[in-house]
Amino acid sequence: MIRIVTLAPFDEGDIAFVIRTLYQAFGLGTEHVGERKLPAEAEGDDGRYDGPKLLEEVSPVRTFADDKVLYLATVPLSMKPGPLGEPPSYGFARQGGDRAVVSTARLPQRGVAEASIEAFRRRLARESVHYVGHLWDLHHCLDARCAMHPSWSPLLGDDPGHDLDSFCRDKSEQRIRLAKT
Amino acid sequence: MKGHTRRDDAREQPTLLPSNIQSAKELRPGDRVVYPNQGVCRVAGLEQKDIAGQRLEMVRMTREEDGAAVLVPMAKVSSVGLRRVSTAAEIETVFHFLAAVSSDPELDWKVRHRDNVERLIAGGVLGVAEVVKGLHSLSRIRPLPNKEREQYDGARHLLVSEVAVALGVPGNLGEDYVDYALNPPAGTRFQLKPPPKPIPISIPAYRRKKPVVAEEAEDLGLEELGVELPEEGAAAAGGAAAAGGEAEATGEEAAARPARAGKPARPAKPRKAAAGKPARKAAPRPKARKARKPAPRKKAAPRKAGRGGKRK
Repeated sequence: MIRIVTLAPFDEGDIAFVIRTLYQAFGLGTEHVGERKLPAEAEGDDGRYDGPKLLEEVSPVRTFADDKVLYLATVPLSMKPGPLGEPPSYGFARQGGDRAVVSTARLPQRGVAEASIEAFRRRLARESVHYVGHLWDLHHCLDARCAMHPSWSPLLGDDPGHDLDSFCRDKSEQRIRLAKT
Repeated sequence: MKGHTRRDDAREQPTLLPSNIQSAKELRPGDRVVYPNQGVCRVAGLEQKDIAGQRLEMVRMTREEDGAAVLVPMAKVSSVGLRRVSTAAEIETVFHFLAAVSSDPELDWKVRHRDNVERLIAGGVLGVAEVVKGLHSLSRIRPLPNKEREQYDGARHLLVSEVAVALGVPGNLGEDYVDYALNPPAGTRFQLKPPPKPIPISIPAYRRKKPVVAEEAEDLGLEELGVELPEEGAAAAGGAAAAGGEAEATGEEAAARPARAGKPARPAKPRKAAAGKPARKAAPRPKARKARKPAPRKKAAPRKAGRGGKRK
C-alpha cells in the first residue's frame, strides 16, 4: 500500500492523478491519508528544508509492514553537498526505506491554463513514481524515458514520461513480490 | 599467466587502488570491509566450522545492505580480494574521474565483459567506477543489452553503497552524487582535478580482433572463379561443345542434356545450387543472360553457317 500525505494544500485533481499513476506504475493500492504540518526543526538557515531531517521529524502516519509513505511538499529541499557540489533536489527517499518526500518547488509552475496544469500534474506524478521507486530499491535508470532517470538530467524533455521502463518495472515487481506481506 | 599480470598491474597503481587485506589477523570485530561483488560487510568475528570432515576457521561477516552472512576461510582472506572501505579522499578522486570526459567505450562485448568482471573483482573502488562510467558512456551510443544492464546496475549498487558508507550519507544521497557527476545538469561545469590513471588492462593477442576485409575479398575471388569458368566455356564454345563440358562436371545431368543441346544456359542454375554457395545470387544473373544470347542464334542455324562460311 502506498499512502500519500500532503504537507501543504494540494488540488484534489493533482492528488487523484498521482494516485492513479502510482497505482499504474507499481500495481499497489494508493490512497491519500491526509495533511500534516511541516516540521519546523527541518528548516535550514536559507529557508530550505533538509530532506532526511524532514522525514525524521514529520509526524508519523499509521502504516503496516511494507507500506510506503509519500509526503508531498511545496517547500524547497536541501541536501548535504557532495564532493562535486549539491545536486538539485526534487525530493528525498531512503533506498529501500518506507518514506519519501517530493517537493514541487523545482517543478514547472502549475499556472491556470489547462496545458500548464496537465504538465505540472505529469511532472509531479513522475517525481512521485521516481521516489517511490527508490523505496522499492530501484536505482537511477539509463533510459531518459523512464521515470527513474535522474530528475535533473539534460536528456529529459519538457514533458518526461512517468512510466517505468521494462527493466525497472521487472525489478520493482520482483521486489514487491518478495515483500513480506 | 596474463590474468596474473593484469592483477599485479592493478595493484601497482598508486593511492586509488586500496591495499587488500593480506591476513585475517588484520581484521577486528566491527571492522568494515568491502567484499568484491558483495559490497560493504561488517566483520562479526571468527568461528570454527566442520565442512566436509575438515575443521576450518572462518571469518564471519554480515553484509550491511541486508544482513546476509558471509563466511570466508581464514586461509583465503588474502586471495578473495577483501579490502578496507575507501576513505573520503579516495572517493573524491573517484568523483573527479566520473565527471571527467569519458573515453571511447570498448565496442567488442566479449572483451568489455571480461574486463568489467576483472575490474569488479580486482580493481577496487576505481575499478567499480570504471565499469559504471564505461557502461554509462556506452549506453549513450546504444541501449545496453540485458546482461550488461544488470552488470551496470550491480556495479552501480556497489559504488553507491561504498560512497554512502565512506561519506557517511544515506544511500540515496550517494546515488545522487554519482549521477550528478555522470549526468550534470545543463550548464554545470566542475572544477576537476586531473583524473587518476585508469587501471591498465592489456588485451592479450588472442583477444584482439582480426581484420575480416581480406577474407571477404578472397571469398569473392574464389566464388567468381568457381562460377565463371564453366560459363565462359559455354559462351565461347556454344551448342554441343558447351553440353559436353557440363557433362564432365555433373554426370547425372549429362544424359538429359543432349536433347537440350540448343539451350546451354538453363543447366547452369542447378550446378550453382549444387556448389552450395547461395550467397552470390546476384552474380549469376548477368552471366545467365549472356548465356541465353546464343540461343536465338542457334534457332537461326542456317544464318550462322552462312556467316561462318563468309569468314572462312
